[in-house]
Amino acid sequence: MRKSVLYLLSLLVVASMILAACGGATEAPAEPAEPAAPAEPAEPAEPAPTEKTVLNVWSFTNEIRTMAIAYEAKNPNVDVVYTMIPMTDGEYQTKLKSSLGTSDIPDVIALEAAFVKEWVEADFLADLNDLLPLTEELQTFPAVVQVGSHEGVTKGYSYQATPGAFFYRRSIATECFGTDDPSEVQALVADLDKFVETAATIQECSGGDYFMVGTSAAMFNPFLANRAQPWIVDDTLIIDPMVEAYIDFAKVMRDGDYESQASQWSEGWFAGMSDTLVDAEGTPKRIFSYFLPTWGLPYVLMPNSGETGGDWAMIDGPLAYQWGGTWVGAMADSPNIDVAKDFIAFVALDEENLTNWATGVYTNEYLAAIDPEVPEDQAQAPGDFVSSQVVVEKITASFDGSELYEWLGGQNNYEAFGKAAPKVNGALLTGSDDAIQRALETVRDAYLNGEITEAEMWQQWLDSVRSEFPELLIPDPPATD
Amino acid sequence: MNRFGIRKDYHGYLFITPFILGFLVFGLYPVINTLTLSFTDTTLMSREASFIGLKNFQRLFADDFFMKAVRNTWVLWILNFIPQIGIAMLLSIWFTSARLRIRAVGIWRALFYLPNLLMPAAIARLFFSLFSFYGPVNQFMVQAGILGEAMHFLQDISVTRGIVVFIQWWMWFGQTVIILMAGMTAIPIHLYEAAMVDGASGFQMFRRITLPLLKPILIFIFVTSLVGGMQMFDIPYMLTDGRGSPVYSTMTNNILMYMKFSSSKGHIGAASSVGVLVFIMTSLCAMGIFYFLRERD
Repeated sequence: MRKSVLYLLSLLVVASMILAACGGATEAPAEPAEPAAPAEPAEPAEPAPTEKTVLNVWSFTNEIRTMAIAYEAKNPNVDVVYTMIPMTDGEYQTKLKSSLGTSDIPDVIALEAAFVKEWVEADFLADLNDLLPLTEELQTFPAVVQVGSHEGVTKGYSYQATPGAFFYRRSIATECFGTDDPSEVQALVADLDKFVETAATIQECSGGDYFMVGTSAAMFNPFLANRAQPWIVDDTLIIDPMVEAYIDFAKVMRDGDYESQASQWSEGWFAGMSDTLVDAEGTPKRIFSYFLPTWGLPYVLMPNSGETGGDWAMIDGPLAYQWGGTWVGAMADSPNIDVAKDFIAFVALDEENLTNWATGVYTNEYLAAIDPEVPEDQAQAPGDFVSSQVVVEKITASFDGSELYEWLGGQNNYEAFGKAAPKVNGALLTGSDDAIQRALETVRDAYLNGEITEAEMWQQWLDSVRSEFPELLIPDPPATD
Repeated sequence: MNRFGIRKDYHGYLFITPFILGFLVFGLYPVINTLTLSFTDTTLMSREASFIGLKNFQRLFADDFFMKAVRNTWVLWILNFIPQIGIAMLLSIWFTSARLRIRAVGIWRALFYLPNLLMPAAIARLFFSLFSFYGPVNQFMVQAGILGEAMHFLQDISVTRGIVVFIQWWMWFGQTVIILMAGMTAIPIHLYEAAMVDGASGFQMFRRITLPLLKPILIFIFVTSLVGGMQMFDIPYMLTDGRGSPVYSTMTNNILMYMKFSSSKGHIGAASSVGVLVFIMTSLCAMGIFYFLRERD
């Protein structure tokens, strides 16, 4: 008798272990690398009398969560489960790719400008052409639709258009040029030669304590936006003259000590925005300008500007460009494709939502009234530049006298971006941009720092591109002097 | 009355079944799958894939990037392993020495082991902030007059490698101390007592008693450290831009594999071929260690 009990017990142990192992097996493939930030706990919908449709949305910021909450208010039968995974070093992209073909795949995904094309060119996103009529109604900026489309099929839409601008400090301009007037400052940085001259003026007038820019890395985008050709044409890597020009320019900025050398998104770079940058000797340093696009104003510059509000101004700068932007697409395999489409239409192609989004209707109180569990910092400040020309024209005047207007010392950012947005060219983006640009950035800093020569830099970059894209034809490295 | 008719000798199999199943699913299957993938051009971003034979391997040897990753990995591992085993050996000898009789050995051992409990990612990010251009290390060194002006530590090849090596050493020497001490305390004390009676010096005892009897432990440390070292990933990945900057000088085998895996299309076929080559290389070296440190009668 005792034996049989033992036998049963051991069987149980084995069975539980096997089951535990199986439970792990379904989860394991989705975890190639731990995401740096914990994913939001995906609370399953409570067993309510009417079963809610669960829509899984993945993104790399908390922006769309705001719209997801607003969407839930309008669609009480949908439960949006929102997961945020950061993309600082590509964690989000990796997590997305590795979840393909597993049961973890979300219904709706957010795609950043750096990798949206990879997804639009591949065949995992659903065809969203039936939403196209909405873009005509809203007059969505053409570049926004162009980026979300491939071979006549539109797979992603965006709520933003992202023309770039040049933001500068009025007090430094007055001190060094005797004027802070935007049109006069624009004349001083109208082209790249003048830009460098002005950088020298600022250095001279401050005895080296003011820098023209935080880092020349921020100017990679403006240069890339002015290329004649995309990175890849007919399976060949194209090194556009603007790429070479950028490297030369970055070297001039570094050697002339015109940049603070704080790398983009680092503590020092942010400290420059609020005048709290202190160098290693303890000397306070100031940064004259930042290259940032539409979203950079409400999300990056303003929240980090500390006490410097009102001392900023915005102009076009030396190069017209666009930078970033978030597109939203649906997975073709999603079981809730209709809800996903409806959600995307709400996020990117709904006049009311876009207006609310841009004008600061989605405050924390507004969201908390819908979902009491919303985090305290979840809200959308006014000022993000939306993709619909119709909405832009309707709300531009409302920014006169707004907080943003005061912050910019009396400028209407919406008006300025509204003029720049239709000029943006969406044709330069390709699916391989992210990898190619990251590869160049890795070696660029070592070159600027004098660790390697320019020729070595080009060679290393091409080697690494070749390693990542074995099928690509790689040209000879540019000649160096 | 033995209705179930269980034979005793089945029990053993029953108890190892979970492991065998776990091994087959999580150990053997991934290895075979990786091997299969390495002969294909599978990517995550396309639904089709085809068999391309040894082309992935040909490309790896042709583009020199793989050899660079292998060199980096060996350099980083050797630079960290030599001080690690050296210092761990020294500490273990002191802690177990019958002559020195150091007090509170347990506390020291725990202190040395502590860094190993921290998350590598957190440590790497911490060092990243410490050594950034406007970071505390620059401030301290410039204000103390050690450096003339602030420098980009993480853009300097030797400094960045040095930091990677230091973190690896600092995190793992405590572990090695514990294993070595376990090995040393297992050596019968009467051997040392006899040696002391015979007038042997400390070094002679180490050379003639400790080292030979410690050989199995040394082989274990060697092989596990080698396996870990060849797969070095988290520290250099998080400390740099995820690509082994500056100039790919801290790009290890696994970072290269990860770069291929996470490149725009997600070339898992090409990434697998890196994994297969690292597997072969590590296995051959481990076998080499077993061969050269084998018992010679």
